Amino acid sequence: MSSPISPACVHPEPALSRREVMAVGAAGLALGALPAPARAAAPPALAELVARITEGAVPERGRITFDIPQLVENGNSVDVAIQVESPMTDADHVRWIHIIAEKNPFPDVARFHLGPRSGRAEIRATLRLATSQKVAAIAALSGGGYVIADADIVVTLSACIDGG
Amino acid sequence: MASFNARITMPAEAKAGEVVEVRVLVRHPMDRGGQVDAEGRVVPRKILNRLTVTYAGEPVFRYDMHTGVSANPFVSFTTRAIETGELSFEWREDGGATFTRTARLVVT
Repeated sequence: MSSPISPACVHPEPALSRREVMAVGAAGLALGALPAPARAAAPPALAELVARITEGAVPERGRITFDIPQLVENGNSVDVAIQVESPMTDADHVRWIHIIAEKNPFPDVARFHLGPRSGRAEIRATLRLATSQKVAAIAALSGGGYVIADADIVVTLSACIDGG
Repeated sequence: MASFNARITMPAEAKAGEVVEVRVLVRHPMDRGGQVDAEGRVVPRKILNRLTVTYAGEPVFRYDMHTGVSANPFVSFTTRAIETGELSFEWREDGGATFTRTARLVVT
């Protein structure tokens, strides 16, 4: 059983070694010329992540309620509840609900597949949030449209203790 | 995991057409991979990646889980009571192991 808080998270890119920093400094390079791992690893924006799962369609706002605490003390377990207004009939229902956390190491968090037999489009779950960020819930409707709700979340104890 | 501990909470009976809430809590570390344990070894990713629920043989719910799902994952969903039958829950773990549990819903 792993401990709830990881002792360390592996960085995808190693930081510059002291020797490299010294060498760069000695060469008198401007700050802007530093190979910046942070800059190279800029995460894709939320809009891009959303477009990928909706196949380019821009989801509408409304009809979906995303319940998530604004301030999270422990990113290791965050309770969320999502409701979509839908009659959940054969003709008009929610096909799936997808959750995206843009700054998680793996932004696609979860997907819930529903159908007419669900009765209501209502789910609850527990997530992990790596850091303070925007979290979005997108629902795919049987008619082909999408609806979205998002929330800015502040995480005081991140799921990955060093923010990686 | 030698033992698989799942708690399924739902009404034992319901009226036909009623929407029942099903709550599922599982004990699982959901190791997301890349962490270093106390001995300095890197823990490989091992999570439950899917929960599929069928009701009297018909699929009614599926939960695709990734590394952003918490340890000991909880999920709650709803289903319409149609006929008396078994709700069957099947979890799939990284590496191919599966775990199943069933719960009976009596429809009056």
